[in-house]
Amino acid sequence: MSYLSILNLAAPETIMVMTALAVLAADLLFMRELERGTRQLIGAMIGCAGCLAAVAWMLVLPLPEPGSLMQGLFLVDPLIRIVKVALLALTIFTVLISMEADFTQHIGEYFALILFAAIGMMFLVSTEDILMIFISLELTSLSLYILTAFNKRNIKSAEAALKYFLFGGMAAAFTLFGLSLLYGISGSTNLAEIAKAVSGKSVNGLDPLLIAAIVLTVIGFGFKVAAVPFHLWAPDAYEGAPIPSAAFIASGSKVASFFVFAKVMMIGFKGAEGSGSLQAWMPGWVPTLAVVAAASMVLGNLAAIAQSSVRRLLAYSAIAHAGYVLLAVMAVPSPLAPHTSPLGPLVYYVITYGLTTLGAFAVVSNVQQRTGGDRLSDFAGLARRAPLLSFCMLIFMLSLAGIPPLAGFFGKFYVFTAALSSGGKSLGLLWLVILAVAMSAVSLYYYLLVLKQIYIMPSTDQDTPRPLSIGSQAIVFALAALVLILGCAPGLILEPVMSAIKVAGL
Amino acid sequence: MENFFFYFFAALTLIFAFLVIANPFSNNPVTSAMFLVLTIASLAGLFVLLHAYFLAAVQVLVYAGAVMVLFLFVIMLLDLKAEEERHIRAFGLGAGLISVGAIVSIFLISLLKAPLLSNPAPIVHGDTLALGKLLFNQYSLPFEIVSVLLLVAMIGVVLLSKKELK
Amino acid sequence: MTIGLNHYLVVSIMLFCVGLFGVIVRRNLLVIYMGLELMLNAANLALVAFSRFNDNLDGQVFVFFIITVAAAEVAVGLALIVALYRKRQTVHAEDLTTLRL
Repeated sequence: MSYLSILNLAAPETIMVMTALAVLAADLLFMRELERGTRQLIGAMIGCAGCLAAVAWMLVLPLPEPGSLMQGLFLVDPLIRIVKVALLALTIFTVLISMEADFTQHIGEYFALILFAAIGMMFLVSTEDILMIFISLELTSLSLYILTAFNKRNIKSAEAALKYFLFGGMAAAFTLFGLSLLYGISGSTNLAEIAKAVSGKSVNGLDPLLIAAIVLTVIGFGFKVAAVPFHLWAPDAYEGAPIPSAAFIASGSKVASFFVFAKVMMIGFKGAEGSGSLQAWMPGWVPTLAVVAAASMVLGNLAAIAQSSVRRLLAYSAIAHAGYVLLAVMAVPSPLAPHTSPLGPLVYYVITYGLTTLGAFAVVSNVQQRTGGDRLSDFAGLARRAPLLSFCMLIFMLSLAGIPPLAGFFGKFYVFTAALSSGGKSLGLLWLVILAVAMSAVSLYYYLLVLKQIYIMPSTDQDTPRPLSIGSQAIVFALAALVLILGCAPGLILEPVMSAIKVAGL
Repeated sequence: MENFFFYFFAALTLIFAFLVIANPFSNNPVTSAMFLVLTIASLAGLFVLLHAYFLAAVQVLVYAGAVMVLFLFVIMLLDLKAEEERHIRAFGLGAGLISVGAIVSIFLISLLKAPLLSNPAPIVHGDTLALGKLLFNQYSLPFEIVSVLLLVAMIGVVLLSKKELK
Repeated sequence: MTIGLNHYLVVSIMLFCVGLFGVIVRRNLLVIYMGLELMLNAANLALVAFSRFNDNLDGQVFVFFIITVAAAEVAVGLALIVALYRKRQTVHAEDLTTLRL
């Protein structure tokens, strides 16, 4: 495999690496003496330009032959391309949000690490090889640990990073042991090869080693996507990390992790699904995930009610949403309807969820800059101080709760439909879908608690607040508009995704 | 002969590993670190038995050399005298024993059920030449990504361990 | 009786569990890291054993990458501990109480 063909196929990633190095070099070599605002502006401009160049490369230039490089080490196909464009969009918004950040002097390093994390995510979604999955997962995680610890003046930041690191390290060890068992079963690191060995092994009952591999892999990825009972790091990381880092952990990292989680399960463990329906419970990865998903939905939603910090509330709501997304992962196409791939709803759900939660974090960032905190009481009376910002928060919260016609509603709708249709006539996952709908109703309560503070409670601070910067309001507004548009016209994402899935033959 | 060496190194690995995390004589992280070096070295012995010569060397060089020096350096830097008196709580011990016991039993049951895979496979030699050829041909892309990862680690370590000026 | 794959797997699983036990029980962050290293090494041993008995070298390449990544991860983790120690003068997991669990 020559380096030229790698450069040709992985051009967007190469552009991103060069951008990250350029941001770092520009800041360290030429801008030491400049003011922070200028450095942030220039750094963000270079970063966004690089992301846009990578997006343009993928959208404008014709797709190279959909195919794989080095036996599945690196894949290029339309679906992966869409996910990558979404990841880059989330990266751009994260970079823009961090332009207002005032917690660090190391601006070049901060932007460079965001870009490096994004590079890890891009490699993560474009591979079907467990070795590459492990390495890109680690690249993403390491960058995110450092981003979490970036606020060195705040003790919470260091503690949150340490907890995130410890749980992440555990997750890596579990994932690795699971992956090594997979390699042992099949003798290959390629997911498709593994699937061949797996379906050969599960003809008469599951192979014991395979059960261990399933459990360990689910534990490892469960940590990554913060599903119960592996969620303990999430509230701390969301609360302690600097806001742009937390926003990136909540959005970009989730999109990439869920996509690759679904791929590992659907492709790698093909043939070992088992059944999660109550009438015909069969061991396999679907029932394992069903238990995890049910626990995530219940515990995430109930714990969110008790929170007083908006960031912890968002963390628990993220845990609940992890439960909903796992429904899509479990929705294996049944032999009756083989053309409905659950990857379409999953991709739509995680992309819109990423945009929404990023927007919510942008609002929290604005509020925290003015009031110094992110407690619910800090949001009191926000509607009178900043009507536009409040309206955007209304959109984000209602979208997270799943109110039509916002993107969150259609995400849930498609995911639940996919889960229902997966079992064919027996409606296998019906009990989980019912639980999910009930829990969505519960979740509306705590999202409304936030909105009640914003719109009904009287403002507590007397002095005239600092005016919001136009730039940060524009970012929030753009995100809110995206959530609204993608909700009114879900086909904008769903149609290209579905046609891409047909091309990929998944 | 090979059997003897397997049991020898396996026993050493497990005993040293146990002493890393639960040394009855000392709670000091330095002793743990020293036993970790010994664990790594005996693991390298197992690697040699498995014909992974290059990895055995890397294991000793990178783990026992670089990583452990880093551990010791940090332990010395932090001056942990006051930490030695802490004891392990009974609750943590109980919870740990139960969860680990559950995992061990799942594993051992699954292994005992699994068919014995002691087929005398044709031997692959994990020498430097063979691994290097794979690394720079088939696996050149992950190799490049790891270089980015090391850069990230370097940036992060410099940033995190530097004292904030002001 | 010849030494087969299962023997190595038993050693690897026991090593993994010893590491996990350390991570759960010990409260000193440095020792917790060492437990994590043991878990990673258990995966390494399993991979090398599988590589030997599956008769290809992919597993050994995997281990090579794991060793590299683990070294980077340890460096970052220890830097995090140093950063925390500067603030709190502690390396104990029980003292991480600024954030509620």
